[in-house]
This record gives sequence, structure tokens and C-alpha cells, in this order.
Amino acid sequence: MRLPSVLRGGVFVAVLVTVPMFGLQHWFLNLLVFVLMYATMSSAWNLVGGFAGYPSLGHAGFFGIGAYTIALIFKDHVLTTGYEPFLLLPLVGLVGGFIGWPIALISMRTRADVFAIVTITFLFVVQTLAFNLHDLTGGSQGAALPIPPFPAATFELPFYYVLAALLILTMGLTFATMRSKVGLSLVSIRADEDKARGVGVPTMGVKVLAFSVSVGITAMVGAVWAYYQSFIYPQFAVDPLVTIAIVLMTFLGGRGTLWGPVLGAVILESGQQLLTYQLGAVQLYLIVYALLFLVIILLLPRGILPTIQDRLRLRRRRRRADAAGAPPGDPTPSSEPDTASMLGGGAS
Amino acid sequence: MHALIQGVILGILTGGVYALMASGQTLIFGIMKVVNLAQGAMVIMAAYLSYQLFTRFGVDPFLAIPITTVLMFAFGVGVELLFLRPLRREDKSELSLLVTFAVALLIEGVLSVTWGTTYRSINASYANSSWTLWGYQITVVRLWAFVLSLVALGLLFWLLNRTRFGRAVRATVQNPQSARLLGVEAQWVSALGFGLGAATAAAAGSVYGLLYPFYPGSHYDLISRLLSIVVLGGLGSVGGAVVAGVIVSTSSAIVAATISPAWSEMTFFVILILVLLIRPQGLFGNVDRGAI
Amino acid sequence: MQQSNRLWHRGGVGAVAVAVALSLASCASSSNNSGASTSAKSGAPLVIGASVSLTGDFADSGKAVQRGYQLWANGVNAKGGILGRKVTMKIVDDASSPTQVVSNYQNLINRDKVNLVVGPFSSLLTVPASQVANRYGYAFLEPAGGGPKVFAQNLHNLFFVQPAPTTKSGDVFADWILSLPASARPKTAAYTELDDPFAAPIAENIRARFEAAGIKTVYKQVYPAETQDFSAIMSKVVAANPDILVGGTQNNDAYAQVKTLVQLKFSPKFMFLSNGANSPLEFPSKVGPQNTQGIMSAGDWFPGSTATGSADFTAAYIKAYGGTADTIDNSSAEAYGVGQVLADVAAKTGKIDNPTLIATLHQGTWPTLLGDLRWGPDGAPSGSFNLIQWQGGKLVPVYPSAVAQAKPISPKPNWGG
Repeated sequence: MRLPSVLRGGVFVAVLVTVPMFGLQHWFLNLLVFVLMYATMSSAWNLVGGFAGYPSLGHAGFFGIGAYTIALIFKDHVLTTGYEPFLLLPLVGLVGGFIGWPIALISMRTRADVFAIVTITFLFVVQTLAFNLHDLTGGSQGAALPIPPFPAATFELPFYYVLAALLILTMGLTFATMRSKVGLSLVSIRADEDKARGVGVPTMGVKVLAFSVSVGITAMVGAVWAYYQSFIYPQFAVDPLVTIAIVLMTFLGGRGTLWGPVLGAVILESGQQLLTYQLGAVQLYLIVYALLFLVIILLLPRGILPTIQDRLRLRRRRRRADAAGAPPGDPTPSSEPDTASMLGGGAS
Repeated sequence: MHALIQGVILGILTGGVYALMASGQTLIFGIMKVVNLAQGAMVIMAAYLSYQLFTRFGVDPFLAIPITTVLMFAFGVGVELLFLRPLRREDKSELSLLVTFAVALLIEGVLSVTWGTTYRSINASYANSSWTLWGYQITVVRLWAFVLSLVALGLLFWLLNRTRFGRAVRATVQNPQSARLLGVEAQWVSALGFGLGAATAAAAGSVYGLLYPFYPGSHYDLISRLLSIVVLGGLGSVGGAVVAGVIVSTSSAIVAATISPAWSEMTFFVILILVLLIRPQGLFGNVDRGAI
Repeated sequence: MQQSNRLWHRGGVGAVAVAVALSLASCASSSNNSGASTSAKSGAPLVIGASVSLTGDFADSGKAVQRGYQLWANGVNAKGGILGRKVTMKIVDDASSPTQVVSNYQNLINRDKVNLVVGPFSSLLTVPASQVANRYGYAFLEPAGGGPKVFAQNLHNLFFVQPAPTTKSGDVFADWILSLPASARPKTAAYTELDDPFAAPIAENIRARFEAAGIKTVYKQVYPAETQDFSAIMSKVVAANPDILVGGTQNNDAYAQVKTLVQLKFSPKFMFLSNGANSPLEFPSKVGPQNTQGIMSAGDWFPGSTATGSADFTAAYIKAYGGTADTIDNSSAEAYGVGQVLADVAAKTGKIDNPTLIATLHQGTWPTLLGDLRWGPDGAPSGSFNLIQWQGGKLVPVYPSAVAQAKPISPKPNWGG
């Protein structure tokens, strides 16, 4: 069972690596860059919001922290190869994780509600700080990064590959988590935290670890974005809409699965960019997002992938029951978090 | 010193308004264990309703409150029935957060489409007048807002303590199982409770519109303040929300007057963190309810 | 177990399949579009692309920009187009997001292969957008990106179509004050500045000049955008008792400052608000028409302007969109100005491609309804705004004398009169 999933992962990586070589148009590569960005962030959010069941509403704050960190480091720098910001990404990730650690310690002591409150307030504090700490961030005047010295013909490629690498890293982490003790702990926390603690699961440690890793990755994506934009402003670098987007994407594709967030990102990000462009004055932009969110939560709460999985499993059971001649007395897809399927989700 | 006292006066007067907004929020949590991230959006929505009544029909915002209260109450009940009721029990606490967040966005989107994104404000004729008392300036609007908040809170207290509905609500807050055994219909309490929370937003909205310019995106600032207040007061305690509203608002005003306006925004967050570190259940919250 | 393999095969590869499908689709569509290229053949339409904020925070101004562009295009087409070619505006929505604006210009330039592009609303969006245009060699005339960071990019293809960089819009007020004879000149000044890329720098530029001329700064406060309550700040202004109040403001804070000063019963002898006071309808409605007399601001276009094309613009606007000259948003005029410049280049050089635009516009003076415009190598215009003042409920230009329609009222009368 392990071989096919590794094979599938290999196919995915191969496709990611070779797609740009088809001589794609600039606008399409640009679109892919954004899709990869959101796919990575959604997958990272999934670790905390999907597996552990703690819906963080403040990830956009760490996105901004990553963006401003890289902006600060390269403030008056002159770039030579242009790859310097990419090389410093791990440092940015550490900064993000480092800041996330105490936040997690304070806010995850309590229940998910208060966690959401703290994270959303954190988001606004980061934005306020970005506005007020002039000397560091440039305040409302924004912060400039050096222009990437990549030739116009292949401008998007370095960003594409760096983000693809980040996505593969995140998905690899997710995959490893799902198959490890940490993953089991996270799932048990989501199912029933008190019981998990009673059984001896180091709930606090696991939660904080998941959060720190998740926000560290998000910070790295923020740094890449900042470099791509060349100029960042507080209200866009720290934007609640970014949080909404990644939560929505993860929910759409399926929380707690490996491929769910990626699928959600592909659908939503490309859809949103193309629709906003094609349809001109899309007045209903926010309304569509909100309605989509509500529809997904109410009608498809587990997201696309798990729902497909459930339907197929049900059909399989019915077929087996029919074959055995017994009445198909199967319950509707279980509402309880299906531990085995979540661990096996996206893999074999 | 003068600036400090002026700041305190301002803080207390504004605190009444925030207390009113926060009381609805904490009430909803107390009844349904739902953190309503749409509370700020509902206040803004009420502000727009009040603005429309004022500019189209010339209705004074204070007098518009009975109208907007009814509208918002109906809206709140509708939201609960449509979006919160269908959530399954296990996922409720996690998903209700996201559902109310989505409702907040929906409200923001509809407001943007209907009224556009320019700032609006309700410019009643008395908007600029002020009194001076012992050298301290007291704006008429703010004073009336404070009085109104007290009246509304008084009504809320009366409702919760002296009516059958109120008793049912408090019973549900304290102990849902027993309440159900005693015949309290939890479903109805939820719907009406959410409606009540929305109704408090109505009064707050009229006042907000008089005091500050607003646009559809104003709810973000508002909700983060409200959440800090509610946590400080103790999730579920209306009295706590009132006290906390005044405390937080006054602290923020003092910081603005003495340090700088830029940092007064941070006051909310600093207080939130301090509360979580020192006394997570807030001033009047219950530890054993698992509120925190 | 084999079945679940099949299932996850579907789920995992699904994402990849979508990507591949999209890429195939893009190859197909691009080959279709390559026909509509930069053909100089007369008769082929001139497609001008623009990403404008039709939704989101900048929606109102974005729509005004759209109206300006559209109005110009219609006007020019009625006269036969540009060099015999019909102008088609391709306007898309960036939802006030810098991420979307980058994608939009990418799409306009590389997918739809428009002939020219013009700018979006706001410096925030102009900065990233101009980078994209520069990368592909497109000229970038823009009506609304005048912040310092725009010019700090040193882009040779960029031209800000307004009389001066935004942060210098208050300089005309300093010019006037310093032109007063020493006996009439005020001695002290207070500065209340909104912390944003334009408002604070405008006030700071004025302050630098005043301090150099010996006008003492008695109070200065920079406040964040979320500031709702100005009582604390304005009380301190009152306590400092300045002759001049310089407000680096946008709209809402300007209204709030005035209202608070009225409540505090303090009226400075000279008052300048960089924004807010320059909107003909909003300002009196927000602060009370009896309180506007004597307040000064800066503007480029104003109703009643006699600059090139202004009368045509005003008439066409009212015909197309109704209202009066007072309801016209400046952003429409600025967008219209962009079009005027384009048409001028075509008329002068007989060509309308990007290299020509970039080469030509760095020299000479170009007349528009905003005044005569000249640009430096970084795209910053080197003119000045008009000093406008509220007199009798209307905004009139009072300085410099070349454009003045009335003498400045000085000092500012008390509130209510």
C-alpha cells in the first residue's frame, strides 16, 4: 500500500517540475504562482485547523510577519544573483515558528473558541504594528524590496519552483505526520481532547508543535509573495481575506486530508482570479465567497475528498452486502471523525 | 492631568456603547456556546439601517432604534435557524466560529453592494454640539449614547431577570440538561437568544453611526475589540461584559491621551493577553462551566 | 483496498489533471489571440487595457476612474479615433487588491495582448502594476499613483498624470503663506497628520518650509487611520493656540477635525486641509455649510476650471452621467487627462506605440484639463497644484494668480460665518 502512494506523490512532483517547461504564457505562470502559494498555505493551515481541530483565524498575521521579515532583511540590499531571499527562507520560517510558539502556548491552553479569538486578535495586532512601527516597516507608506533581477522572459520561474518546493515540503510533512504518532495524537485531540490527555497523549506539546510548524511555513510563503510583489503595504500583507481564503480552501477540499487543501486551492484560487478578470465588475465577490463558505460548511462539511470517499465506500459496502445476499443495512456516512480513514486519507 | 481626566471621561462615555455591543456577544455565547464573529457586522448593519432611515425618511437615529431592533431581532433569529441550527453537535463549536465569520462576510458583501464603500456617518443636527463642565468637554451625542446604553442594558437585565423568557435563558446558560428536564425548550431559547443578541446590536448601531464614520469593512476593528471585552468580562456574563466594556474603553482612551493615539489600538490586545495569562475565565466567568 | 487505491488515485491526480487541462486551454486560447497584436495597420482598433478597482475598498474612486477613461474614449471615437483607429477600453476589476492588479496587467499584456495600458487607482496598486508594465516594455500613464514610492522605483516608462507628486500638493499653500508680507504672516503652526503614504508627507513638506522661514511649530501629532476620536488631539491643538493649522488628511479625518474644532469653539486664523476640504459636495454636508468659509485645500481639477478640455469634459460628463459639475469626482478628470495625453502624442508624432510614448513624454509640456504637465525621468510631474478656498459655499482657486478666480480670504472667519 505504501508504494502506490509514493508513486502518486512522485507523479505529482514530476508534473509540478515539468509543467513550466511547456513554454507556458506569463499570465498562466503568474496564476500558477498564486495557486501554489495558496495550496501551500492551505496545507499548512490544515495541520492545525484540519488535523488538530483548532481553527486558527490568524494565519494571515504570520504571512505578514514573513513578508515584513524578508523586507527588513533586504531593505537596502543590492541583489546579485537574485536568489538571496530564497536562501534565507528557512530563517524566515524559524522567525515565524518562533513567534508562533508563545502564541500557541497562551492560546491553546484553552478551548478552540478562545483560540480563535486570540488568533483573530493577533491578526489585527500584527496589522496595527505593521502600521505603527514606522522605522521597521515603513508604516502605511509600505516597504520596498529590491526588484528581482530575473530576465523578463523567465521571471516567474524561480518563484514557481520555490513555491513548488514549499508545497512538496508541506505535503511531505503532512504525509509523514499522518503516518506517525504525532498524527495519531492530533487526530485524537480533535476527537476528544480530554480523553486524549487522560490516555497520556502530550496534547500541549503536540498542539504547539503543529501550530509552530504551520505558521513557520505560512511565514515563508509570505516572504516569497513579498519578493514577487516587490512592494508591500500593511493592510495587504496582513489581510483577513487571506485567512478566509485558506480556511475556505481547506474546507472545500477536505480538512484532515492530504490532497484536500491542494484541490481546494486549485479550484478557488484559479476560479477567483479568472472570474474577477473575465467578468469585469464582480460586485458580488465577497458575497460569493461567504455563500460558498456557508454552503460548504452546511452541506459538504467534510469537504470534497472525504465526501467522495464516503460515497464510494458506501457503494462498495452495498455492493458487498448485495453480493452476500444480506439487506444493505448500512448507516449513512458516519458523522464521527473516522480515525482510520483520516490517517489513511490521501495515502493508500 | 487635564488630558488624562478628559480621556477618562471619554472612555467611560464610550464604554457604555461598547458594553452594549459586548453584552449581546456574551449573551449569545452564554446561551449557545457560540462565539458570534458576526456581532461587529451586525452593529454596522444596524448603523446602515439607521443611516438609511435618517437620510431617506428623516428619522432621528435614537427614535429609529425601536424599528431597527425589531428588524435585527428577526435577522438574528433567521441566521440562527438557517445557519447555526443545521450544524451537527460534534462539530458545532469549531464550525459555528466559521459560520458566524462567513455570515459577517456576507453582511459586509451585501452592505458593500447596497451602499458602496465610501464612509458614511449620520449627521444629526446635534452632532457637533457639546457641553463644557468644569473645563471638560462632553459631547452631546456621546452623553446620550451613554444614557441610551444604560437604558438598553437596564432593559436587558429586566428581561433576563424578571421575565419567563429571561429565566429560561439563564437556566439554559447555567445548566442546559436540567433546563431541558424542567421543560425549557432549548431550541427556542437558542433562536430567540441569538435574536436578542442581534437586537442589542441595533441600538448600538444607531449610536455607532452617530459617533463614527463607518463603511462595510468597519466590522473587523469592532469585532476584535468586542472579543477582548467579552473575554475580560468572562464569556457568558452580561454584567462582566458591561464592566469590561468600560474598563477596556477607558484604558484605551487613557493610552490615547497620555501616550499616543497609535498605541491605543494595542490596548485591547494587551488586556486580552493579560487576562488569558492571569485569569483565563475573566472577571466574572465561571471556571467550572468550562467556559475557559 | 484496491478500490481505495482507485479512489485516491482519482483524488490525488485530480488536482494535477486540472492543472494540465488549464495549461492546454491556455495554449489554445493564446494561439487565437496572437492575431490581435500591435498591428499598426490603420483601421485596426486600438485596445487600451486598464485594471481599475470596481469593487473593494477603492471601489468608489475606481469607478470614477473608469468613467473618466470611458468618457475620453467615447469622445475621441466621435472625432474619428486615434490615427484613424477606434479606441476600445478593456477595463477589468482588481477588487482593490495588489495581488489581483499584478495578475490583471499580466493578463492584459500577455494574454489579451492589448496595445497600450493605463494605470489603476491609487499608488498602492500603481506600484506593483507599473513593474509588470515595465517588464514587458509598456508605457504606463497613470492618473492616480502619485506617492513617493511610485517615483522611487525610477521607472522610465511611468508618467503620473497630475500637476505634481501627491506629497507636494500642499506646497502651494506654503508658497502663498510665504508670499505674504512679513507683517501679515502668521508666526506659529500646528500639524495634525494622518499616518498614510500621502497625507503625512504633504504636511511634512509644508512644515519643512515653514520652519525654514521661521514659523514655529507649536504642536504636531501623527495619528493612525483608525482614529475615530479627535477630541484628545484637537484639545491639544487648541491648547497650543496656533495661527495656522495644517492638516495632512484624507476625507473622514478632515471632517472629524473640523467638527471637533467647532465643538471646542476654536478657529485658527489659517487652516489648510490636504484632502476632505477639496470635495465640493461632501465637505459642507459633513461639517455644516456654515463652517466651511475660509478653509483652504489643494486641487488639480475643479468645476469651473478653464484648462484645456475642461469644458468639454464637464459637458460630456454631465450628459453621460447626470448630476452637476460639483458632483464630478476628480479621479474622472485625472483619468480623462491620461487619455488627452495619449491623443496628443499621437497627434504630434503620428504614432501610438509604447516606445514612442516613452520617448516623447519626457520632453515638452502637455496641455490637459488638469493644467499643463511636464515630467521628469522618474515620471514625477514638475508643476504645482492650485490653492483652493471655500468662499460663499463654493470652492474657488485663489493662488497662484495665473489661475486665481478670486482673492484669498484671510484670516479665516470664525465658525458659523
